[in-house]
Amino acid sequence: MILIWLILIPLMGGLLAWLFSRGNDRLPRWISLIALIIDFILVLLLWMQYPERAGLTNRSWLVDINLEWIPRLGISFHLALDGLSLLLVMLTSFLGIMSVAASWTEIKERVGFFHFNLMWSLAGITGVFLSLDLFLFYFFWELMLVPMYFLIALWGHENRISAAVKFFLFTQLSGLLMLAAILGLYFVHARGTGIYTFDYTQLLGTTMGSTEGMLLMLGFLIAFVVKLPAVPFHTWLPDAHTEAPTAGSIILAGLLLKTGAYGLLRFAVPLFPHAALDFTPVAMALAVIGILYGAVLAFGQTDLKRLVAYTSVSHMGFVLLGIFAWNELALQGAVIQIICHGISTGALFIIVGALQERIHTRDMERMGGLWTSAPRMGGVGLLFGLASLGLPGLGNFVGEFLVLIGAYTVSIPMTAIAATGLVFATVYSLWMIQRTFFGPREVYLKVPDLNMREMTVMAFMVAVIVWIGLYPQPVINTAKGALNALQKNAGAMTSFGKISYPVSTGADRDTK
Amino acid sequence: MPTAFLPEEYLPIVIFMVIILAFGLGTLAVGIVLRLRRPYQEKLLPYESGNPPVGEPRYRFSVRFYIVAMLFVIFDVEAVFLYPWAIVFDQIGLYAFVEMMLFIAILVVGYVYAWKKEAFRWD
Amino acid sequence: MTLNDLAPLIPLMVIAVSSVIIMLGIAFYRSRAFSGLLTLAGIAVAFITLFGVQGTRQVTSLLILDDYALFYIGLILAASFVVALLSSDYLEGRRENIEEFYILLLLSTLGSSVLAASTHFVSFFIGLEILSVSLYALIAYTRNELNIEAGVKYLVLAAASSAFLLFGIALLYGETGTMEFSRMSSGISAQGINKGMLLTGFALVLTGVGFKLAVAPFHMWTPDVYEGAPAPVTAFVATVSKGGVFALLLRYFIQVDMHAYPSLFGAVAFIAVASMFAGNLLALLQKNIKRILAYSSIAHLGYLLVAFLAGGVMRVTAVTFYLVAYFITTLGAFGVVTMLSGKERDADAVEDYQGLFRHRPWLALIFSAMLFSLAGIPLTAGFIGKFYIVAAGAGSALWLLVIMLVINSAIGLYYYLRIIVVLYAQPGHSEVSAVSSLPLTGSLVLVLLTVLLLWLGVYPEPLIEMIHRMTMRF
Repeated sequence: MILIWLILIPLMGGLLAWLFSRGNDRLPRWISLIALIIDFILVLLLWMQYPERAGLTNRSWLVDINLEWIPRLGISFHLALDGLSLLLVMLTSFLGIMSVAASWTEIKERVGFFHFNLMWSLAGITGVFLSLDLFLFYFFWELMLVPMYFLIALWGHENRISAAVKFFLFTQLSGLLMLAAILGLYFVHARGTGIYTFDYTQLLGTTMGSTEGMLLMLGFLIAFVVKLPAVPFHTWLPDAHTEAPTAGSIILAGLLLKTGAYGLLRFAVPLFPHAALDFTPVAMALAVIGILYGAVLAFGQTDLKRLVAYTSVSHMGFVLLGIFAWNELALQGAVIQIICHGISTGALFIIVGALQERIHTRDMERMGGLWTSAPRMGGVGLLFGLASLGLPGLGNFVGEFLVLIGAYTVSIPMTAIAATGLVFATVYSLWMIQRTFFGPREVYLKVPDLNMREMTVMAFMVAVIVWIGLYPQPVINTAKGALNALQKNAGAMTSFGKISYPVSTGADRDTK
Repeated sequence: MPTAFLPEEYLPIVIFMVIILAFGLGTLAVGIVLRLRRPYQEKLLPYESGNPPVGEPRYRFSVRFYIVAMLFVIFDVEAVFLYPWAIVFDQIGLYAFVEMMLFIAILVVGYVYAWKKEAFRWD
Repeated sequence: MTLNDLAPLIPLMVIAVSSVIIMLGIAFYRSRAFSGLLTLAGIAVAFITLFGVQGTRQVTSLLILDDYALFYIGLILAASFVVALLSSDYLEGRRENIEEFYILLLLSTLGSSVLAASTHFVSFFIGLEILSVSLYALIAYTRNELNIEAGVKYLVLAAASSAFLLFGIALLYGETGTMEFSRMSSGISAQGINKGMLLTGFALVLTGVGFKLAVAPFHMWTPDVYEGAPAPVTAFVATVSKGGVFALLLRYFIQVDMHAYPSLFGAVAFIAVASMFAGNLLALLQKNIKRILAYSSIAHLGYLLVAFLAGGVMRVTAVTFYLVAYFITTLGAFGVVTMLSGKERDADAVEDYQGLFRHRPWLALIFSAMLFSLAGIPLTAGFIGKFYIVAAGAGSALWLLVIMLVINSAIGLYYYLRIIVVLYAQPGHSEVSAVSSLPLTGSLVLVLLTVLLLWLGVYPEPLIEMIHRMTMRF
């Protein structure tokens, strides 16, 4: 039941926020905040509840709920949670709280409807991370997009409409291809076994021809890669991120992109291990191109928000690289990168949003020297800029480092090129900090510094990113069980002669 | 096979049609070739059984004519249905009687409706 | 033949009798309330009697009232009920003598119901004509210039399509010696059948039906008629008239087993793809909501044909479910248009909807829900419908058609989104959206349709189960 609550609480919170919004702007904010905090506490409790920070048990599903929904078609309401989903759901509610707090003063119009969309989008994302029925997965997958579309189209910046439409078209078309692939898998499975089902656990290990498998896998892959985004499919991202309101950008960068990574981890590779194996070189090449291309383009931006958007392309390239390397180190790295990128990029978007609220521009040409009037903002900005470039001691470093070690065992040249991405990251991150917070002071600037509310938000985010940077073990332990199960499911993918290094504490030496 | 499209039994009909066409067009052609052409005004007037024509030919009829014409068609068709019915009446019996009465009753309703809407009043 | 044999026809008779009673009523006591209520009562009674139909369902060789027919008749009746409710406030003040509207409405409902139940070319044709002849008058009912133009266009094209249909029927009869659907397949497999003649017959029937369904390349009339007809009538044309014809087409081609004729299959596949593309691409160019919805309906019929081409158990279920979703959505969308329309003209320009969310948030949300359903977004019935169609297509390995459908869904999304964006934009200066107050009945109907839409989108199981039971026979 607790899994259903995780989805229901934001749904109901959103509805309540909307219903109580008439003539009152504060109430919807508080309702959403409280609902999300309850949600977060529930996930935390789940995390605490399981021995050794979840994950280390042999059970791959910590909680599993399976209800009939449309039995005629083999569709069930199947939610389950393992260490991986747990981390991502935790990230969802955490960033949800942050985004409500960050838009506390930014959104002044139709506050109720804004929070309704925000909460429903979060509920959809939570559903994506939890569902184990492919139909249900697709349902949530599409469901999270509509409110997101409204968030961008109604509360976004100058070119919001075209950005929103572009975002929606990209994700919908790729989603429809995934639907076709899901149905293809459904019928292939039924052809082999006579059982019509959309249940993930049953569909695992479906036997199929190699062309068939490749086509179906591509259907899934395109949807996920568009979301991720990997290079040829990334063009929606800069526009959507730039035009979205702060909360929208946080959710887009911090969570929506992660659904793509999650889909690859959970579905695309384990369901089609052979096809994924064949596709590995292409995917890794795309990842490396993404890392470099995103970094180079980020360097060329003058719009601060657009810059941060392009860094996402670069960072998510590491995730893609880690996933297709598919050994334990790389996967752990990808998971940590997913979480840390969510937090660091979210924080950067909050800073950009705060700046825009104060000086009404995102153009870096018109900034500079902000440190003197807003030292706290500058300090936090610098910290997350450093996180973004992969400074040891902050979370992103751990993620990128693990991905690179893992990928090294698969392809040395790819890893070498990807590593240069870190250099580029240093360049654009420092360049960004330099141009905004240092340098000559612009005339008009007497910028109010971050206030209490914003500092509280930042304090949480800083704490998390430093904690993961210094002591990532709890995260690694939590994900371990889930990742091992995924690797086991995708047997063929792992048998590529890749060495699996144990990543664990002394308490649990891997016996494999 | 395309030949299967036209069974041979239809051949006489085709020949018949060709002859008809040939005769009609032929006589017209002969007329055009042989006749004298001396047009004057009276000859070019529309033929109205000897009366001199009055006014424009594209005269707009009162819309009431159309209503009457439509009503006539409806009730006339009713009569057309009655003939075959009368022929087989003795074989079907009561059932046919009831059915025809229903049919007429519906038409009567229509008649009453038209009457009440003053479709039969001329002015 | 006894009276007992006619018992299954009671629902149809109720409709017919109510129209006669209304006509008689108008003759002596003209009252909108009386005619309207009698219409609603007639439809409701007919709907209830549907549940009492049992025993031998076959009434002569012309009609059969099996579960399939009953389901479709029920759907048609429900849609007419909604249209009757919507039009009651709409017609007020648009012309005098609005009572006859209800007679025509009932008659065309009757025609459509006959189509859903017919198993014979004769009843097919009679049903089609009852439907069409009343539609000519309905489309031109409010008698402004657009109305009449639309009515005449529909008259000419429907007459032409009937001619095609009759010729096709004649050819099929000539070859197989029967007009009964069920005997036709045995007639076809008999010796000495002329394949060419047979296929020409099929093609002509398909042409005639294609006109009625407004599928490409027979779709030209649709936007003009949709635009010209009064909004509730447009809803009626889009749902009731197409629903009946589609039900018949499905029954006919299942009984004849269309899959035995590759060329016929190819023709329908071509029509499906052409309809999807023509509908969606042309809709992109429109600035009039009614025309957009017209083109979108062309595309939706194309989607339906994809499921229609799929074989197997899923075909009938997919088509029927999609039609139900399509009915709800179309009625809802045109319901919104009806509600917003002023007396001068219908609210059909996209600008009329600019900023609707500001002054009529609920109506804007309902309209968005309908558009999302047309686009096939989750939580709405349209999503499950589209899912079902893709499933049916994938189940029969019609991958090319499925891919076309996917591409077209994306194109379609674009123009649905365009309307939705307008709904939430800053308000413009349109006089239409400033209609003072909304009629109560219409609002209730719209809320009900929306609830139904969402319910089917979240929990479609009961309807699927029901459709499945009714299609067991096929």
